Formats: sequence, C-alpha cells, structure tokens
Amino acid sequence: MNLWSRFFRRQRMMDSLDQDIRDFIERETQDNIARGMAPDKAHYAALRKFGSVTRVKEDTREVWTFGWLEQLWRDIRFGLRALVKSPGFTVVAVLTLSLGIGVNSTIFSVVSTMLLRKPPFPDPDRLMMLCSRNAAAGAGPEESHDPVSPPDFQDWRAQATAYSGIAAATSFENDSKVTLSGGSEPERVPNGEVSANYFDVLGVSPVLGRSFLPEEDQPGRDRVALLRADLWNRRFGSDPHVLGRTVKVNGETYTVVGVMPDTFRQLWMFPEQLWIPLTFTPAQLGPAARSQRSLSVYGRLKPVVTEAQARSELDTIARRIAATNPATNKDWGVSVLTVQQYAIQESNAGTALAFLLAAVGFVLLIACANLANLLLARNANRQREFAIRVALGAGRLRVACQLLAECLLLGLLGGGLGLLFAAWGLHLLRGAFDWNEWSILISEQLSLDRNVLLFTIAVSAATALLFGLAPAFQISRRDPNAGLKESSRSATVGRERHRLQNLLVAGQLALSLVLLVGAGLFVENFIEEMHARPGMNPHHVLTASVALAGAAYKTPARQAEFFESVLRNLEKSSEVESAAVTNNLPYTFPGRAKFLIEGQAPPPAGDQDWRLTFAGYFAVSPDYFRVTQIPVREGREFSRADDANSAPVVIVNEAFARKFFSNQNPLGHHLRLTPDGAPAEAGTTPPPWREIVGVAGDVDEYVGQTNWRPHVFVPFLQHPEGSMDLVVRLKIEPNAFAASLRQAVWSVDRDQPVTNLRTMDRVVRDSGQGDDIMAELMGAFAAIALVMAGVGIYGLIAYLVGRRTHEVGVRKALGARSREVLWLVLYGSMRMVMAGVGLGLLVSLALPRLVLAGFHEVHMNHSNWILAGMPLVVILVALVACYFPARRASRVEPMAALRFE
Amino acid sequence: MSTQKERERIELLQGTLDLLILRTLLLGPAHGHAIAKAIEMRSEDVLQVEQGSLYPALHRLIKRGWISVQEGTSENNRRAKFYRLTARGRRQLTVETGKWEKLAGAIARILLPAEQEGES
Repeated sequence: MNLWSRFFRRQRMMDSLDQDIRDFIERETQDNIARGMAPDKAHYAALRKFGSVTRVKEDTREVWTFGWLEQLWRDIRFGLRALVKSPGFTVVAVLTLSLGIGVNSTIFSVVSTMLLRKPPFPDPDRLMMLCSRNAAAGAGPEESHDPVSPPDFQDWRAQATAYSGIAAATSFENDSKVTLSGGSEPERVPNGEVSANYFDVLGVSPVLGRSFLPEEDQPGRDRVALLRADLWNRRFGSDPHVLGRTVKVNGETYTVVGVMPDTFRQLWMFPEQLWIPLTFTPAQLGPAARSQRSLSVYGRLKPVVTEAQARSELDTIARRIAATNPATNKDWGVSVLTVQQYAIQESNAGTALAFLLAAVGFVLLIACANLANLLLARNANRQREFAIRVALGAGRLRVACQLLAECLLLGLLGGGLGLLFAAWGLHLLRGAFDWNEWSILISEQLSLDRNVLLFTIAVSAATALLFGLAPAFQISRRDPNAGLKESSRSATVGRERHRLQNLLVAGQLALSLVLLVGAGLFVENFIEEMHARPGMNPHHVLTASVALAGAAYKTPARQAEFFESVLRNLEKSSEVESAAVTNNLPYTFPGRAKFLIEGQAPPPAGDQDWRLTFAGYFAVSPDYFRVTQIPVREGREFSRADDANSAPVVIVNEAFARKFFSNQNPLGHHLRLTPDGAPAEAGTTPPPWREIVGVAGDVDEYVGQTNWRPHVFVPFLQHPEGSMDLVVRLKIEPNAFAASLRQAVWSVDRDQPVTNLRTMDRVVRDSGQGDDIMAELMGAFAAIALVMAGVGIYGLIAYLVGRRTHEVGVRKALGARSREVLWLVLYGSMRMVMAGVGLGLLVSLALPRLVLAGFHEVHMNHSNWILAGMPLVVILVALVACYFPARRASRVEPMAALRFE
Repeated sequence: MSTQKERERIELLQGTLDLLILRTLLLGPAHGHAIAKAIEMRSEDVLQVEQGSLYPALHRLIKRGWISVQEGTSENNRRAKFYRLTARGRRQLTVETGKWEKLAGAIARILLPAEQEGES
C-alpha cells in the first residue's frame, strides 16, 4: 500500500473509530445486562473490560503512521506554533542567526568564485597548463609557473606525445589590449593571439561561424579574427551578419570569421574579448628568443595518459632543451598542472581568504553561543511544560527531538534570511572589487551559485544542531519531578544551567577578542601602508592612458609629436597647473630596463636577481617631477632642451644611487640602458651612454612595499613610445576635469581612445591590491562580533538578574543598599568576563606571528599596543552591557520583589 | 504510560491475537464485539485479553490486506462494521497456523521428556 492510499485510508478508518468503540462498549453493556447486572454497573464493567479508550485510539493510530516522517512533521508544526507564540525570542534568534550565516555565505561565495569554480571547459581535469619553471626560484608555494617562449613551445609541441593537442596563447600576464576602431568610438579590448587549434584543445565551439583553420596561424593568412559573445553583443548588436565584416585592430584590417561563447568569462585567466591567430617572426623562433617567455601553453591529455606520465615526459624534453641551450634554458624546467590548479595558485588569494573565513567562522560561533543562551533561558521558563509532558507519557527523548525540530526551524529561517543578507553583502563587495582588471573580472562572477546555496543549507543545519544540542541534552537528562517542584523562589535554581551559560558567554568574549586583535592588525597594516612613504603628492592629480593606434603613429617622431600636442592643449587650460606624460604611472609596476654602468663590472651571466640588472624604466616629459612633486635632490630635472638631438641623459632615483654608487656622487657618471631587457640583436648598434644628470626621490611601485627598487628616468623625447599615461596636476577637483582631458586628446586625433581615467589617489589605493578591503572586512566582522557578544552578555545578565529578583528583594529588605547590590551583580559577572578575556588574550598572542607568516611585507610596528588595548575595549563593552541590568537590580523595590513569583 | 515490560507483553500477544482473529473470521464475517466474544468462548475464558487491544490488531490486519471491512447490519438490526477474511488472509492463516503448530510442538517436545523424568 503506497503512501497516499495509506494516508487517505487512515483518515477514513480513524474517523469511524470513535463510533466503532462506542458500539463495542454498548454491545458489551447489553451482554452484561443480559447476564443480570444493573445497567450502570454493566456499563462500568464493560468499560473496565475494554481498557483505556485513549490508549486504544493511540495504538490504533500508530498502526497507520509513517513512522519517523510523520513524527518529524508533527514536531515541525508544533515548533512553528511555539515560535509564533514567542515572537520576541524568534525575531532576535532569527536575526542573530541570519547575520552569522549571512556573512559566512558572503565570504564563501568569494571562496567559491576564486577557488572552487571548475573551468568552463569539457573535461576540465584533463586540460593542463604547461609552464616553464625556474628551478632557482624554489619549490612548493614559491614555485614559479612562468610563461613559455616560442621556440620552447614549438619543441614541446613537436616532441610531446602525451597530449591530443597543444596550443599556445599570448599570456594574460602581458595584459595586452588592442584598439578596435572603425565605425563607432574606438575602444581598447583585451585581446589574445592564439594558435589555430587553441579552441579545439580547450574544447570550445563557436556560437556563430567557425574557429581558426589550421593554416591560419601562418603570416599572411592571419588576418582573421574571432569575437567573444559579449563583445559581439555590445559593439555589433548581436548582428547575425557580422561574419565577413572587417574590423580595424590597432589600425590593421581583420575579417571576422566567428563568435565564441561567453562562458570564457567564468575563469579570471581568460579576459580576452578578441582573438587573432598567433604568428611568429623568424626572430621569435631563433635560439636567442628562448628567453622571451611570453606564452601560455595548454595541452589536453590523451585519455590513457596520467598526469604523472605527462609531467615526466615534458621534464625529459625540457632537460634535453636545457642541455642544448644552456645560455637561455639552464635551470629552467617545467611544471604541468591543471588549469584550475593554476588559477588557484596564481590568484594569490589563499591566505587572505583563509583569514576571512576564520573571521566569519568566529562570528558564527558567537551567534551560536547567543542562540544557545537564548534557548537555555527560554527552556528554563518552559520547565513546567516539559515536566508535565514527560509525566503524561512523552519519552524524554521525544521532548528533546521536538526541541531539536524547533532549532532546525530556527536554523532554516536564519539561513533563508541569511541568504538575503549575503546577496546584499555580495552587492557591496562587487562594488569594492575594483582595483584592477583581474579583480573586476572576479567581481563580475561573484554570485550566489549552487555551491553557496548548498553551503548555506549545511551551515544552517549544523548551526541549529550545535546550539540546539546543549539545551536538548539538558532537557533529556533532568528528572521531571524536579521540574515540577522547581519554583523561582529558590536561590540555587538551575546552577548547572547557569554554569553552562556563563561558559558560553566567556567563550563569546574570547572569540570576539581574538577577532578584534586580528582586525586591529589588518587595519594597522593598511593605515601604515597608506601613510608610509609617500614619495610624491598624489592629491589633485588626474591620470589617463592613451595607446596610439594607426599607421600614422608608427614612428617615434610622430608619437612624440602627438603627445607634445596633447600636452600643449592641456597647458592652455586655466584649470591645469602642470601636465606631463610618462610611460608608467607611479605606484604601478613599471617595465624594466637592463642597464650597464660605465666603469662597473657587468653582473655575471645567468644571475637571477633581477634587481642587480634591471631597473624600473620611466620615459617622462620635462614637467613630470613638477606634476608628481617627486623631489629631485641633486642635479637637475629634464627640460625641453633634452630632446632627440641633444646628448642622451638619464635621472636615477635614490635607491639606485645608494645601491650602485654607495659612496660617490652619481652625477656625471654614465650608464647604458636596454628597455625591455631584450637581448641585443647581433649587428645592431648598442644603445648610447647616458649621462646621469639628476637624482630623484624614491617612489614605491605599490602600496606596502618595504624594500627599495632602483628606477631610471629618461626624457621621453629621446625615447618616445606609443602607449603613455597622462598625468595632470589640477587646481580643481580632478574628476571634474575628465571630459576636458578627453577633449584635449581628441582635438589632436579623434580616433585615439582615452582609457583608464583615474585620480592619482585612486591609483595609489588600487595598488594596495585590496588591502583596504581586507582591513574593512576584518574590521566589520570584528565589530559585528563585539556587538553580538555585548548583546549576549546583556541578555544573560538581564536574565540572571531577573531570576534573582526575589533574592535581591530579601537582601534589600535585610538592609542592603542599592550600591551594594550593584556591586554584587557586577562582581559576579566580571569574573566570567575576565575569564573570557584572559582566554582570548592567550590565543591572540599567536596572531601577529600568524599574520606575518601568511602575508608578505606586513607593517606591524604597533602590535603590542593592539594586544594591550583590545582587551580593554572588550572589558569596557562588557561592563557597559552588565551595567544596565545591574542598575535595574539595584533599584528593585523589596516589597515588590518579595511578592514576585 | 507504557513501560518497556508492558510493551514487550503486548508485542508477544500481537502475533497470536492476529492469528486468533483470522481463525475466528474463517467461519464467516463478524463485527468487532462478536469476534471478542468468540475468542473468549472458544478459549473457555482462558484467554483474557483487554478487549480494546482488538482494535489495533484489526487495523493492522486491514493494513496488511488480510481482512477487509464493510458496513452491515447486525443481528439486532443495528449498524456495525463487519470484518471478513480476504483470499490473502486465508492463505496467511494457513501459514501462521503451521508456524504456530511447529512452535507448540517444539515446546511440547522439550517440556514432555522433563515431565517423564520427573515422574520416574
């Protein structure tokens, strides 16, 4: 008999049971009368013979039950009714829970997006990244996964047999963008140059048209392009006839042959919106080019091959290459890992996320403790109800189960509301993840996906069990008689329960202290970072990027001319104090140039410490130091006279001077620079010797840098480039000048895109790579935790005081003064508070070391102050929380209290 | 409040009570009270079971599909529910009777030799 028919059958059978039993007893009565009994005696005899009617009905009903399922349903209904009857408790409990669960879901969704998402390709665990590995860089977490050079890639492709296909793409680390123009406004889009079989290896099919043909990655056949679906939507309006249309990429014409799906966007490593075939010049395939590591290489494992086999095969190939090419490949091995592993390792987010997860975990524990206390208090009031129910025949286990069902209900309600909180929290986070392209990619993908939903349900259930166990356990252990006899007059009431509650509150205090100390460390780090070594004045400066595209700007002369015109336009404006161009903004990672100092020995070949051979390379216009207010401590700045026709000059920064000219004045010395560190091609003239004419102050490459990096500056007129950043010091609010800045560029050439408009303040903040968010988040969680703990203490003390009202009344009647009662309550609570704070302090002592171990370059000069100060904060909050109930207790009227039941 | 011991006792009787009901209904459909009286009479008042426990047993048998229930009129023209054996119930009765006889036989074999020993 299946569930449904049983259900309906049961209804029918039970409906008539009453009548049936009455009929039965009636007949028995008649029989008794027939035997000669008096009518009423006959009735009683029949009843006695029948037995307990209630029991019979229950037993009969049990025949039809579905067992535990029905029991659960009944418990849930009962629990729901109980919760509705005490709305105050329910609201507080659900709010507390939802806050705790909500923050956990929020952080977990970040974890899910960054660490757990599988790449959106078929069979993602068989798709491998093949990387170069520099043996000198160490193993383990420090292991390098570097891009691959074109000649290496060709060799691997030719020799490796473990893969059904190997393809390469220009590495996303290059952050390359191209200008799409023709038609509407020019825009810069991230692009990738990929092998013809790239999409086959990845397993992605086009949504329109086709992907590349095998012959299309040869020069001459390569003027075809593939669009990503969102680019197609945005720029071409999803036009189905886009195939065959031409687009201008960096001024060159390409034909669109296909559209690729949007799913690429799910993994942050694939920012490209446009793909063109990857071609190599003969130089790029020559032996010297083996050190130009610029490609990401993907391989799809053949079905029968294991990862280990593939790895060892590639190892062998790499060793062979290293043996024949020691100059470029000595100490270079390979690493083979899945695309997902690569994405996780290179995202550098693991430690930060670990700290955040720990923080929200603490918040949840504190919420659980609050809930457990709430439940314990509530159950204390229901002691009589439970005792009666147990006396009437409910097993103690049944009562405990029913309580657990109530807790599960609370958990689910809290989880549901928590999801709403999480959605709001994600909305906030998405706005905050904006410090660079990669973080923006991540922010686009943050969502409440399936992982997060499952996580929330699991956490809700686990939490409910956690805070429900203690009270339920208590209920099931108590002797019902004691419950019935208990009254609030007794002063020793519920000792055991009170101890548990005190323990919980002490635990909450400990946790919130640990969280406060942790947050304090992060906040301190961030603040110190931001104020550490300004080196320049970032206020009132607007920046923008212009990357020249088009055949007109192929020569350095034309590029220089363009930017000079823009600068002249800018200087005409009355709102501009001074304007300059530079190829790299301060507080961003600059390109590097290899240098050689005249009179000093060149560093030994193969030296891996790039700090000794590479300097940050800045090509700047004369007013650069004026705009940025970087001090030039010795010598002079550049002037308009330093141009292509005058003597080559260079300015170095103090770090450079300290490192390489320790006890001399660098002015007057000469050095030679090779931008991009490209090896000199045989037969070309070496770069000229430049005279050092000035020494400038140091500026960091990123917020929080603790070491010093050498920088060199050359006049941009002597070394023009096509892609430069404008920096403009303004007399007005920088953001208000954005439109005028664009206009200044467009009045020189309408077709050049002006991108990345940011104030310099914003640039500095962005270079913190999210340190500000980390500090904000940890601070927010610590605050939430402290408030929750404070509320918890307040609730507990208020409740305890309420239980002792009678006792207080007696004391006051016997002559105690208000002040004494106040102290009595406060003293009693402070013991518990001190215990919690002490425990928390012990644990917090380990924190500074943990943070130092987990993050590079942490500023932690005041950790002792934090360790000393935070406990005081917690004690203060606890005192305030205790004070109000204590004051209420001290104001109790003795007579009213003595009458209080 | 049913304690553990009472529960055990009831369980022991559940199986046998079911068997007795089935056997009683072999002679024809009957209503609840008639079944109770029949069991009492046939056992010559040895089996004194709480009459109320008849109802859970009847419902159990209905759930298992061994008996069915119908509205009908009793001998003194009153409405009553009549229970009757189903085909499955008939088969089950044979099986259960066989099991019971085996059990009773086994117990008798164990008990009887002891008696003889006691006598001699």
